[in-house]
Amino acid sequence: MSITLDQVTKRYQGSPVVNDVSLEVGEGEFYVLLGPSGSGKSTLLRAIAGLTGVDHGRIALHGNDVTHVSARQRGVGLVFQNYALFRHMTVGENIEFALKVRRMKSAERRKELLRLVALEGMDDRLPTQLSGGQQQRVAVARALAHKPPVLLLDEPFGALDAKIREELRRTIRQVQRELKITTVLVTHDQEEAFAMADRIGVMNLGRLLESGKPDELYARPATRFVATFLGAANLLLARQTEQGIRFGAAPVNARRVEKLEGGREQEVVAVLRPEEVELAPTRDNLRTNFIANGIVEEQVFTGAFERMRVRMADGAANAHIASPNANGGSNGSAALLDVTRTQHEQRLFPLSLGQSVAIGVRRIHVLPTPLSSYTAYGSDEASCERLSQHPLLVELASRMKTRIIKRNEAPLVACDAPASAPVSGVAVIAAGQKTADQLQWLLQNGAGEVLVLPAHSSPPQKVLIHWADDSARRSTLAVAASLLRHVAAEAVYVGILPEGSGGESQRPFGVRTLLDARSEAQAVHGLEMRTELRFGAAADELQRQLTESQDPMLILGVSDPAQLRGTFGTLFTSGATYPMMIVYRPSKDSEGAVE
Amino acid sequence: MAGGPSKEMLAEIASRPGRDTLISSAVKYVFIALSLGFLAALLFAPLATVFITALSKGWEMYFESFKDEDTLAAIKLTLTVAAIVVPTNTIFGIAAAWAIAKFEFRGKSFLITLIDLPIAVSPVISGLVYVLLFGAQGWFGLWLQERDISIIFAVPGIVLATMFVTFPYVARELIPLMQQLGNDEEEAAITLGAGGLMTFFHVTLPKIRWGLVYGVILCNARAMGEFGAVSVVSGHVRGLTTTMPLHVEILYNEYNFVGAFAVASLLTLLAVLTLIIKSLVEMKRK
Repeated sequence: MSITLDQVTKRYQGSPVVNDVSLEVGEGEFYVLLGPSGSGKSTLLRAIAGLTGVDHGRIALHGNDVTHVSARQRGVGLVFQNYALFRHMTVGENIEFALKVRRMKSAERRKELLRLVALEGMDDRLPTQLSGGQQQRVAVARALAHKPPVLLLDEPFGALDAKIREELRRTIRQVQRELKITTVLVTHDQEEAFAMADRIGVMNLGRLLESGKPDELYARPATRFVATFLGAANLLLARQTEQGIRFGAAPVNARRVEKLEGGREQEVVAVLRPEEVELAPTRDNLRTNFIANGIVEEQVFTGAFERMRVRMADGAANAHIASPNANGGSNGSAALLDVTRTQHEQRLFPLSLGQSVAIGVRRIHVLPTPLSSYTAYGSDEASCERLSQHPLLVELASRMKTRIIKRNEAPLVACDAPASAPVSGVAVIAAGQKTADQLQWLLQNGAGEVLVLPAHSSPPQKVLIHWADDSARRSTLAVAASLLRHVAAEAVYVGILPEGSGGESQRPFGVRTLLDARSEAQAVHGLEMRTELRFGAAADELQRQLTESQDPMLILGVSDPAQLRGTFGTLFTSGATYPMMIVYRPSKDSEGAVE
Repeated sequence: MAGGPSKEMLAEIASRPGRDTLISSAVKYVFIALSLGFLAALLFAPLATVFITALSKGWEMYFESFKDEDTLAAIKLTLTVAAIVVPTNTIFGIAAAWAIAKFEFRGKSFLITLIDLPIAVSPVISGLVYVLLFGAQGWFGLWLQERDISIIFAVPGIVLATMFVTFPYVARELIPLMQQLGNDEEEAAITLGAGGLMTFFHVTLPKIRWGLVYGVILCNARAMGEFGAVSVVSGHVRGLTTTMPLHVEILYNEYNFVGAFAVASLLTLLAVLTLIIKSLVEMKRK
């Protein structure tokens, strides 16, 4: 491996800008770090170069640990967005700088490099006499002069216009292929990432969310963020059933639907790419699976494609969650579906504004996230409203690009009568005296995940993860991973063994469980977490950990509702002051969910 | 429709913004005349007087006044002080600007304020501070006397006072420049394998050279012309602790007008020369 990052964390004024990033870039690979501004991608690049130190983790170049090696000794080739050429030196002197430092012969190498970036004969020009594109070529040549172990490019095309950008992209890709040098490029432009990358890593909020080949990431994103950041995507809430995916009332028996593992019927987030949507005059004319009827609301001609927005009618309107005003409990009336059509499709079925159409879909991708949407439960209107305005919940929902529904359930007070409708998505309740009863009631009514929010809580800094028994492990990890992608917090798995000789004798087993959990979190969910082994009663140990940490949150996995009263009862009676996420998977079903 | 544009059209053209109407051009010339007149009365006239008075008894007398030993001593002292103060302040100025522009630290804004202090404080006060510190009745006066070190009413005092007054010039010039130019070139040099000194001399210094020259020129001009602070600490010992500005005052008070104005004209010439170099540097910077 040319570049190995192991749990790299960089904090700035206490909050992590790069959070537990682990990454391996292979020999000669062109890796693109993609993310919005402020996602920590440039900081990560500077950390690889050695210009920024890291607070935690290791960095290795070609197998040598360079975590504590200075930028000067690492000698990577670095190209900056604004070129950073030495403005008082000629092109030749700029390129020879690294060789002069090393007292190496430079004339021949200079010629070779200038040929490589197609700037022969420009030796004696000053940087100010060159165009932006040419200056950046000089910067690339300069960075390569001393044959660096890796080449790092920090938004190298940011300051250039579109035509030159494309040309320079090609040059850099060519140079990279010719030299077979391992390269990392940082950009916020997904088109650029697609054009250049062997592999793309998408960053947000300091975390490396997903990493993979461009086409795979585009076709099968695992997270909402990647789905919407890499190209356009419609996110819809759907129900995964035995027969397939259902949007609202309309069942879709899409043949090419990718099936989620696990047999339980549940709410899921479906990704519809605009180009996978088919429009036809009536349902019968569709060659693909019908999902809803709609009306064309917006039409934009963009050259090769026609872009439009179609308002969905029927029950499917409720499913739409990606519209900008989707948070804060909108009733889904703004269910606009983004659609792109080729010229060919346009000719086959010309459309005008206001026309009603049948909407079909060629391919649906279901996100493997267990956190689909939030439903705020209260026993009266006011408490529902209050809960749905909870800052942490609003923050989570907007980061997850999902919605919050309010559900007024009187039985929540006594917890005796069944709920008016089965619970779907994440149920949210306010912490209080009756939390344990309410939890049990929600679980009986079909809830898989329940978020318990105290009246006042700041965004969590530390998330403690624990599960009662192994059958809840997988789903708890999935929930934790999904949640932590949207929260800049540290994840800690707490393994607890009984106190005394019984626990001591189990110690090797306990340690193995910890290591297994950690590697599963990393391999399956891309979640980096610390692990701690404790001895004692589970509830007491968790309570102690929670009170000792600043702004904690608890993610607790159970396989039997009775565990909430029994093993963990004390956690709920005291009236929690921190947010809790309860994950419940009945043990008999979870067998199916595991494999 | 013969006879050119109509009256309305002319009026419309005249009322267009940016057009020279009669009134607007009148206003323009009045303002130019006013400022020229003001400058003539307050700047050019005194400048001319300096040279006219200096040359009133002919060139011979003019050059004669430079043969006076005390005058020569004053010129020498001024140049010595400048030779000590300007390089010192250049080094400190670069160091301060570097620290402020490149690093984040506690009390940074306080440090910037401190650097501005000499400009805000009256020069006389700056001189007095040193008298209070190092004078015979000052805090360290006795200690210095016992060791036979004289600072006040001696060259070290003059150097100290001048240094205090001229400290901000280089730093103030460099801080915004360094902040604007950023760190990228230095970082590029480091990743290319250059050490600290090499980065400074081959990358940073050439980058800031014109700003630096500008700051040094201003610092030098002030160092040679400083009167207030120096006057307080010098003690006016003829031939020993009088700088050129002080010497001008002494000669003037002795009714040696030609001598006084001759030295003054030399100072003025130095100032004019400084301004010319400054303009050249400014042109070069663009």
